[in-house]
Amino acid sequence: MMETLMISLILIPLIAAAITFVLPVKWRGVCAFLAALVNFLIAVLLFRKETTIIFPWIGWGIDFALRLYHFSGFIILAVSFFSLLISLYSLEFLKNKSSARQFYGFFLLALSFVNGAVLANHLVTLLFFWEGLLLTIYGLIAIGGKQAFKTATKSFIIVGASDLCMMAGIILTGYIAKTLIIQDIHLGLDRLGSLAFILLIIGAIAKAGSMPFHTWIPDAAQDSPLPFMAFFPAALEKLLGIYFLTRITLDMFKLDSHNSLSVVLMAVGAITILLAVMMALVQKDYKRLLSYHAISQVGYMILGIGTCLPAGIIGGIFHMLNNAVYKCGLFLTAGTVEKQAGTTDLDQLGGLRSTMPVTFFCFLVTAASISGVPPFNGFFSKELIYDAALERGKIFYLAALIGSFFTAASFLKLGHAAFCDKPRREDKGIKEAPLSMLIPMIILALTCVFFGVFNRIPINDFIQPILGRASENHNFAGWPSSLPLVLITIAVLAAALIHHYAAAKIKGSGLKAADHIHHAPVLSAIYRWAEKKYFDPYELGVKLVNWIAGLLSGIDKSIDWFYDFFTVKAACGCSMIIRKAHAGYYIIYVVWALTGALLVTLFAIK
Amino acid sequence: MNKEQALFLLVFLPLIGAAILPLIDRASVKLRNLTAFTLVFASFLLSAFILPTVIGGREINIILNLPLGFNFILTADILAVFMAMVSSFISAIIILYSFEYISHYENQREYYFMVVLFLGAMMGLVFAANLILLYVFWEITAITSWRLIGFFREKQHVLRADKAFLVTVFGALVMLLGFIKLHSETGSFDLAAIKAAVKAHSISNLAIGLILTGILAKSATLPLHTWLPDAGVAPSPVTALLHAAVLVKIGVYVFARLFIATMPLGALWHAIFPVIIGLSALVSAGAALVETDLKRIIAYSTVSQIAFIFLGFSMGNEIGIAGGLLYILMHGLGKAGLFLCAGIIEQRTKTKDITQMGGLIHVMPVTAISFLFCAFSVMAIPPFGGFFSKYMVIAGTLQAGHLAIAGIFLFGALLTLMYLFRTFNMIFLGEMNKVPVSGSSPLMVFCVALFAFLSLAGGCFIQYPNRIVAAAVQQMTAKPL
Repeated sequence: MMETLMISLILIPLIAAAITFVLPVKWRGVCAFLAALVNFLIAVLLFRKETTIIFPWIGWGIDFALRLYHFSGFIILAVSFFSLLISLYSLEFLKNKSSARQFYGFFLLALSFVNGAVLANHLVTLLFFWEGLLLTIYGLIAIGGKQAFKTATKSFIIVGASDLCMMAGIILTGYIAKTLIIQDIHLGLDRLGSLAFILLIIGAIAKAGSMPFHTWIPDAAQDSPLPFMAFFPAALEKLLGIYFLTRITLDMFKLDSHNSLSVVLMAVGAITILLAVMMALVQKDYKRLLSYHAISQVGYMILGIGTCLPAGIIGGIFHMLNNAVYKCGLFLTAGTVEKQAGTTDLDQLGGLRSTMPVTFFCFLVTAASISGVPPFNGFFSKELIYDAALERGKIFYLAALIGSFFTAASFLKLGHAAFCDKPRREDKGIKEAPLSMLIPMIILALTCVFFGVFNRIPINDFIQPILGRASENHNFAGWPSSLPLVLITIAVLAAALIHHYAAAKIKGSGLKAADHIHHAPVLSAIYRWAEKKYFDPYELGVKLVNWIAGLLSGIDKSIDWFYDFFTVKAACGCSMIIRKAHAGYYIIYVVWALTGALLVTLFAIK
Repeated sequence: MNKEQALFLLVFLPLIGAAILPLIDRASVKLRNLTAFTLVFASFLLSAFILPTVIGGREINIILNLPLGFNFILTADILAVFMAMVSSFISAIIILYSFEYISHYENQREYYFMVVLFLGAMMGLVFAANLILLYVFWEITAITSWRLIGFFREKQHVLRADKAFLVTVFGALVMLLGFIKLHSETGSFDLAAIKAAVKAHSISNLAIGLILTGILAKSATLPLHTWLPDAGVAPSPVTALLHAAVLVKIGVYVFARLFIATMPLGALWHAIFPVIIGLSALVSAGAALVETDLKRIIAYSTVSQIAFIFLGFSMGNEIGIAGGLLYILMHGLGKAGLFLCAGIIEQRTKTKDITQMGGLIHVMPVTAISFLFCAFSVMAIPPFGGFFSKYMVIAGTLQAGHLAIAGIFLFGALLTLMYLFRTFNMIFLGEMNKVPVSGSSPLMVFCVALFAFLSLAGGCFIQYPNRIVAAAVQQMTAKPL
């Protein structure tokens, strides 16, 4: 029974996806919503159940294996929760949009693949679903508009490259461990093990959207249909990437805090936090600003898990959950603004507080959560990460703290510009969004409060079992244990608030509150280059690859030249010489015949 | 009908039948087309008919002793039947596609004669268990492909057909020298006898090197590969047949037949061969990223993918060999689909230059989606079939301990993603540069969609082809080398 239910988590969305592609367009959304609802109910039923299943698949140790246990059940529940809300939201949002034709099919396909990847208990099964997600990413971005395919290709190639690394990592891991069943893999980090570990980590953090695999996300924010952003980069990819990262560092390899790879992981996290948040600060578009935060927040999770301390890991996983909640909520507010006001360009928005009060309320709660304001959920997970980061090194703590300052600053700017400033454009009767769009946002906002105030429930019931014995005697729930750290956090937030109001007062508008950072002497040049994509690893990589391709093509051309020119000339030259020998002199032919006869005789004698 | 008769028929039906086609042509063009298709499809059905027997572990032999110590042996084992099924099936669909495609051109009579003869020679080659017999069929394929590449009879085309012929025949002659050397070392051209002799003493590296030259020339591997992109001037079904499904797979097949099933490759070539194919994979993938001629891009892609098949075969472990065999199937399906798509695009836009195309997805959506599906399979994206074969080949490489080689091929795989996307985007997406002429044939689009569907189905139902592959690998490796 439980096995059937577990497989139906993969099959039901898959079949529903096939159905939506042939249904009349107006029924597609409803079909997707119903499938997401059934999926959610099954996930609830399966929560806290344990079962495994294995089918022979290809042979040579490659099987189709799934495993439901507390961790995967928890992620499955979260995934189904977000997909339910987003399918409800999309019903109204995508009405009368051309992208609605294919959106639901890809949406359900993605749900099926994500469920499969989370449940996978065999590395090849995992890779099958994990890489299959490339198709849905490509499809979901490409339906966004006429030029969206460029971004879709970019995301496909970035994620595809990281998936190739992961494939190599999986093969290496299987080779070292002599098994591909994830449950049975427990490896040390020797030389080959470290290589496998790094390759797997690349796959995991690239999926989560960490630097340097992030640059498609801001582009996708502008090109893709918005529910994709709320669904993929905000929620699903974080859940999936961090879930796998945790499993690599905790189960498959025993990464401990003495290993230098732990420092590398923390450094990646810290750099991602800082650089992405600095980019977010200067954005002038609602969705693009959020997308940089979608990158920056991954940094906290990687930093937390990279510390290899129970507090950090729990904080990282909790932050993953919280981030999915508030980031999904934030993207949905962006969608509501886009739908009702017709744009997400902050230069043309303003004053939405009075016309869209419910959206403003949801924005307020989710923005407070992401900024780490107590008592919302983001505060508690960040405190856990701070705690662990400080224990591993002041520099990491400092990076996280600076990240918090700018996160708060950029959300103050965003909220101020979109909701509180005077309208920058003639108001054409902007109204509050319809109920089916508000409900998902309200639910997400309430979840932010709930996970904050009652953080005992997610931490003790969902997350701590993942760590098992290592965290048994600790209590991570409730109010943070270290008062000085809380005070510092509050001081930083207050500083961000004061900074924002002072700057807004001087510049006269909330939108321009970060302009002095944008136009600071050295920074302005860096920002300009960044906007021109000089630092985009993808652009640089493509340039490098094209250069290499040119070189390789040159080699190819020269080989071809050898055939087309050299051999032809050589053959002509030879025949020329031989032709000259055939001059028609009787005596020459006689000499040849005699020489030949002599050689044959010599050969025969010998 | 007993199995021996079936084996005999499946080789000689297309070989002899090809000669009758021009006669039928005088009666009815339609009948000729149908006969051509039936002959090839019959080969497929007959191979499927003998499949259960060979899977059961029995080999089917037809032996005819000739004077001077030569003999005529056809042997059907699982590897041969698998290869025969793959190539006859893909060829049958390609012939179906040609009904419409070739109807616009002259010399149809010769076209069908050559194609069916070619397939017959391929069948003979696959089942040949004697090196001289193998060589004869090998050369028949070279002659037919020479005529087919120069099908349009333009001066440039004929020169390129000559180039393809000269390079492959040069390789074949070198290979023949290798066979003779092999004969002097083992005393036989008979594969079974060679296999028995190899147990006693090893084969010289020279003989293996000579044979490898022929194989590399036929399978278009660096540095003997440049004839393949040049041969893109042929009609599209021909390029699909030669570059994707059959001709280039000959070398790969003979490699498996000789160096896995019959004798070991030897330590020296075991070290050198992966380097050659690694370079081949990289150079051709790089060239594919630079070229702007649609068919040349796909042809370079073939050169690059063939290297993956060789890689799987040369690693000497089961998963690699199985991956290589699956690769033959999946690459055949995907690449044939790509070439046939190219044919539709070429007929409708009257150009092969991808920089002059764009936005075609709006006028030919089915072709576009089919192209994308086939491309996904070649890129190895799950759930398409190519994923499993590429995974298994790379797994075989890493298990053999070749980390650097695996890295090179992974980079090659990344380039594959890039050049196929570049091609797809430039042809089908963006602004429409040139409005194509109307009138695509439903039959041609159907064939293309069929390949796309099979690429997807091949991944979703991987266990069925895999069963044959697994049995073949067991048979090839189980016997003592």
